[in-house]
Amino acid sequence: MAEIILSSVSKRFGDSEAVRGLDLTIAHGEFVVLLGPTGAGKTTTLRLIAGLERADSGTIRIDGADVTALPPSARDTAFVFQQYSLYPHLSVYENLAFPLKAPGQNLSKAEIDLRVRATAKLVRIDHKLESRATRLSGGEMQRVAIGRALVRQPSIYLMDEPLSSLDAKLRADMRLELKRIQRELDATLLYVTHDQIEAMTMADRIGILKDGELVQIGTPREIYTAPRNIHVAGRLGQPSINLLPRGLIPDAGLPDAARTVGARTEHLHIEQASNGSADGTVDWIEHLGDQTHLHVIAGGRKLITLAPPDTALSSGDRVTIRYRDPLCFDGNGDRLGGGAQ
Amino acid sequence: MLNRTADTLARATPSRVARKVRGLSDRGVAWLFIAPTMLLLLAINIFPLVWAIGLSFTNYRANRPNEPIKNVGLQNYQRILGDSDIWIAMQTTAHFVLWTIVLQTLIGFALAYLIDRKFRGHAFWTTIILIPMMLSPAVVGNFWRFLYQPQTGLFAYAVSFFTGIPNTSIDMLGSVGAAPWAIVIVDTWMWTPYVMLICLAGLRSIPDYIYEAAEVDRASPWRQFWSITLPMALPFIMLAVLFRGIENFKMFDMVNLLTGGGPGSTTEVASITLKRQAFESWRTGYSSAFAIILFVAVFGLANIYVKALNRVKQR
Repeated sequence: MAEIILSSVSKRFGDSEAVRGLDLTIAHGEFVVLLGPTGAGKTTTLRLIAGLERADSGTIRIDGADVTALPPSARDTAFVFQQYSLYPHLSVYENLAFPLKAPGQNLSKAEIDLRVRATAKLVRIDHKLESRATRLSGGEMQRVAIGRALVRQPSIYLMDEPLSSLDAKLRADMRLELKRIQRELDATLLYVTHDQIEAMTMADRIGILKDGELVQIGTPREIYTAPRNIHVAGRLGQPSINLLPRGLIPDAGLPDAARTVGARTEHLHIEQASNGSADGTVDWIEHLGDQTHLHVIAGGRKLITLAPPDTALSSGDRVTIRYRDPLCFDGNGDRLGGGAQ
Repeated sequence: MLNRTADTLARATPSRVARKVRGLSDRGVAWLFIAPTMLLLLAINIFPLVWAIGLSFTNYRANRPNEPIKNVGLQNYQRILGDSDIWIAMQTTAHFVLWTIVLQTLIGFALAYLIDRKFRGHAFWTTIILIPMMLSPAVVGNFWRFLYQPQTGLFAYAVSFFTGIPNTSIDMLGSVGAAPWAIVIVDTWMWTPYVMLICLAGLRSIPDYIYEAAEVDRASPWRQFWSITLPMALPFIMLAVLFRGIENFKMFDMVNLLTGGGPGSTTEVASITLKRQAFESWRTGYSSAFAIILFVAVFGLANIYVKALNRVKQR
């Protein structure tokens, strides 16, 4: 069992508060992704759990034991650093074997060899075991870094943007691979990223951080369909959610308190205007290959939605736009009817 | 703007000069710039070396310039390599080089390791530690002679204070057994800071996140030292050893001031033997040959060492 409980954890660096009163519980075997822009406190949260930073206040518990004051070595976590942090003077093999030679591991040479080779195969670096860590490409280094975390099989994995320097194809592979490994090992994994696709595809739950505070945490579905406020709504969805003022397009039936209407593709019904009464004009159609983005100008504002690849619309067409059960936000940016998520 | 300035300058140049300069190619201008340095190097480095090689095959004596110079072939070299006094001097040199390197590297690295902890006032202590190497070797040699004085010297007083041996019987520079160690102590005192400085640069070059990774990987401080700190600082340590090795192989000034090679010839390192042969016995041809042998030895050893250093760096 490896359950992480953070209660009102705070950390400041000089004048800036990196993490503010963070409450977060991660259940055993759960894959939690922290999503947020640069400086939101994601990395600091990871480092606090690993013990690389000391919390100014609050407590951190792993499996019920208070580890707030314990050094990293006493916490049984593995950390994948964003800047790889490989040991530059060691080979790939030695890098992977390094965590296995820690005191208390007591593994035989053959056992270490077995696990290093198995892990290397898992992260597909087994053809470069004898290479110096510094002679690898960025993607290879990153895979060694992930492998070094996996090899020891700790109770908790902490990963700081581990896929950020991989190319798109490898990143897609590694996403599936990581998710598979995590399920197989039944591991607790806390993952930091600013890539919403990684968050959506891998997470059991997503935590949205902003300015050191946890704004919302929930399943990807919850975060996507029931965001607590405008900030959360803007984190997920491609193309990102259209935030429109009241009255821009016909919005009868929306709550009176709604000041801003959030509309994703599924919240909009767009069709060719049949009789003079148009709400907007198609600005242009962007073909991205797998997606087609429809840019519509309405009342001086631009809306971007997905369109079917065989759409009959073309630039300059006049269109009618209707809401279909959109997200409504009040004057403070909080979602109406969302309840306390 | 720049073009206009260049134009103005070109127009202001007297036409006689301009015509001459314009005839030069870029390559010609380049040669013009490095020629003074090249000439200087040739005059004070290359020419004396070649001249000394020439002299080493003769029986020339600088104090008898009017005697006919005879070519003696390899005779000087043969006599040097068979001369037991020369070999004793080489042993003295080896003893001096070996011990100064061992002590300076150990103490220097230990100091660097402590200073790297970045405790309160570490910058102040770094400056204090660096003072000895800022002094001139002549000054150091002179005041250590006073410190080593058996009757009035601070060193003898301190030793007798801690050991109870009467200070008048502690004659570091005058006794055959202690004199070689006396020069090792002074050189270590003076140059340990230099080794520390290079080691400190090496330690500072190890990024913090490597240690963070090691900490998460549950490496003990002991293991972090042996598997991260030491291997990653090793190229720097080796560089310090190289510098100190070359420097001490040709050590002259400090030893000359402290003991002048004595008592007897117990501290007569190679360079002092060389000076005695060249400027006391005036055997110019013979000492030239000795100088060439020393040069080849240092050059060869340094080259082998640099190869090893490069291999360590490439790891």
